[in-house]
Amino acid sequence: MEKIVVSSVGILSALGCGMHQNIQALLQKKSGLHFPVHLQSVHAQEFLLGEVNFSNEEMAMLVGLQENMQGLTRTTLLSLVALQELMGKIDRALLRDEPVALINASTVGGMCSVEDHYLDFIEPGKRGDFIQYINSSDCGDSTERAARYFGLKPLMATISTACSSSANAVIMGARLIQQGVVKRAICGGTDALCRFTLNGFNSLKNVDKGPCRPFDQTRFGLNLGEGAGYLLLEKEEDAKARGAEILAYLGGYANSNDAYHPTAPSPDGAGAFRTMEQALKHAKLQPEDISYINAHGTATINNDAAEGLAIQQLFAEKVPYFSSTKAFTGHTLAAAGAIEAIFSIISLQQQAVFANLNFTTPMEELSITPVTDTLENVPVQHVMSNSFGFGGNNVSLIFSK
Amino acid sequence: MIKHPLYIKAACAISPQHSFGDTPVLDPVVPSEGNRFVAVDVDYRAFINPVAIRRMSRLLKMSISAAMKCLQNAGVSMPDAIITGTGRGSAGDMQHFLKDMIMMKEEALNPTFFIQSTYNAPNGWIALQSKSTGYNQTFVHRGISLELALLDAQLLLTETGDNQNILIGSYDETTADYFVVKEKLNYWKKETVASEHLYQNNETLGTIAGEGAAFFVVSGEKEGATCSIESLEIIHQPAPTMIRNKVHEVLAANGLTTDDIDVVLCGRSGDVRFEAWYNVLEDFTTQTIAGFKHLCGEYETTSGFALWLAHHIFSQASVPESTILQKGDRKEIRHVLIINHFILDTVSITLLRG
Repeated sequence: MEKIVVSSVGILSALGCGMHQNIQALLQKKSGLHFPVHLQSVHAQEFLLGEVNFSNEEMAMLVGLQENMQGLTRTTLLSLVALQELMGKIDRALLRDEPVALINASTVGGMCSVEDHYLDFIEPGKRGDFIQYINSSDCGDSTERAARYFGLKPLMATISTACSSSANAVIMGARLIQQGVVKRAICGGTDALCRFTLNGFNSLKNVDKGPCRPFDQTRFGLNLGEGAGYLLLEKEEDAKARGAEILAYLGGYANSNDAYHPTAPSPDGAGAFRTMEQALKHAKLQPEDISYINAHGTATINNDAAEGLAIQQLFAEKVPYFSSTKAFTGHTLAAAGAIEAIFSIISLQQQAVFANLNFTTPMEELSITPVTDTLENVPVQHVMSNSFGFGGNNVSLIFSK
Repeated sequence: MIKHPLYIKAACAISPQHSFGDTPVLDPVVPSEGNRFVAVDVDYRAFINPVAIRRMSRLLKMSISAAMKCLQNAGVSMPDAIITGTGRGSAGDMQHFLKDMIMMKEEALNPTFFIQSTYNAPNGWIALQSKSTGYNQTFVHRGISLELALLDAQLLLTETGDNQNILIGSYDETTADYFVVKEKLNYWKKETVASEHLYQNNETLGTIAGEGAAFFVVSGEKEGATCSIESLEIIHQPAPTMIRNKVHEVLAANGLTTDDIDVVLCGRSGDVRFEAWYNVLEDFTTQTIAGFKHLCGEYETTSGFALWLAHHIFSQASVPESTILQKGDRKEIRHVLIINHFILDTVSITLLRG
């Protein structure tokens, strides 16, 4: 098997627009959580959220679409802005001339717009401006718009496996390249904050009103966030042939299912354990080779217990630095896998591991604790990034220097 | 896109027709009502735990039941992987939660509808019921969702070896809300059409709405298979010439000509906007041409119904009368070609071998 490399990335999160702002915030331990400015919800001033600091109009301006916002949702705009960074670092003619796949991920498509107009949608015979948003209810809407905007072809796909969606997009892209279906793949995901998702998680009573506390005994739940992240994957030899900078190697990955419960992980962490173990095997690495785990770490009661136990069991005596960066960005759902894959790459490049913010009290059921401070000048060779979703959908990715 | 054959060991469909196998298949043909098809319910309790079933949406019940029955038919208790495609997932649950949220001003909401609205909810349930901890994936890309799941299965068999049993499925439902919403984009005919006359009513915009779930057990091994998918191609924003060229390209790549094709299943829907996409059918003058959207209606994953029908045709070695648009002269059925489209600008071409 030829090695798959990451040769360009693009990111937009509550920490900022682009790699530089995200790196600075991670190193300076500056969380992006705040009360939302753009999300319209009766709960807006109750919940800290990882909202991106741009209005839709500002994002449209960044990609030159301010005169043509027909049917453009926040989901798509986040995606376009993040992709623009990725595209800015490569020769676009190359992408036009050689087959590329856009593998995108979303959990609720353009729900951020659909929920504003839904009563108009379903009123028989009613017409109006809202019609432009009808097709945005599809998860594939942002994918198709992005592929057209950047001229990406021939293949596009959209994945939706809840919180592991864009980690799955990375796996799919790598496999399409390995088997020669396409030469390159742009993989990632996008999700915009919306009332639907906020109220959905709130109805499950697992949204924390304050900053979330991953892997902490006092944790209550997650903070939602929004954003988009994308990675350009290609074979090592293709990246080298065009003189591209190699940001990281995608050393291994695994997707497996809990087969335990529709939403809750197996409490002993068996599903997470299996997925991490398979990813190590796929990467031909031993547990002690992992320098840092960017955990899923949603700060929900169930996830952190299961994931923590799995890490403890798999890594035993040699538990590497691990942390959740969800307290920086909020849980960005379909974008989380890609955003945290990019954080893993930043960890490799900066030789740094990131603080698990807001940690004070070790969990009773765990003998391990996350890294509480951002540490620089740490040797980081291999990073594991976990994403676990509803439906028992578990993914682990491993990135290497 | 890639050439790894997918051998279909079993197929199972819940559709607006009698397709589940507990009654004569496609007999009698069920007509649409008011330009809308509704899937025929089956005895879901035979496949789902009675406690769990009470809170389940119709879509969940349909997809889990079709999946479990398909596994039974294949004699596979635990699939090695579960890969699905859906345009809208549990649209009913999503709409339910969304309307409650609006009406109740974001207070006191029932989380069940939110949980079940997740596009991969059926995958999770099927994995749970079949104890399948293997690879699990859900594609949600409009009219090519199932096609992407099939592509993924081809990749997987190449990676893992041919002896794997992969459960592939598609599911979509047409709710009353969805029917109203998409009417605004001219998805459905304004005049009420009898489904058996769908193809004669091909001079106006729109078609008939449909729904269904279809599941397949596929493997890389020929033994015990009824037929195989040999080629699969997707075209975005097609033009009639592109479709025609791609059909001939697929045949040539498989060492075949139009003469080798015995049956063409076409996704014509009576919508005037897409009739020209099927001009390629003119190249098949001696073959049987069959339609299926007068039986299942239009939705994102009609390719699931078409694939089920192709499997049925191979297993019966005959084409159901109620599907035939043009009677061919072939005595044997060796190759079936599916040409299908979805309203949002995609076409797929699938070549099957018996």
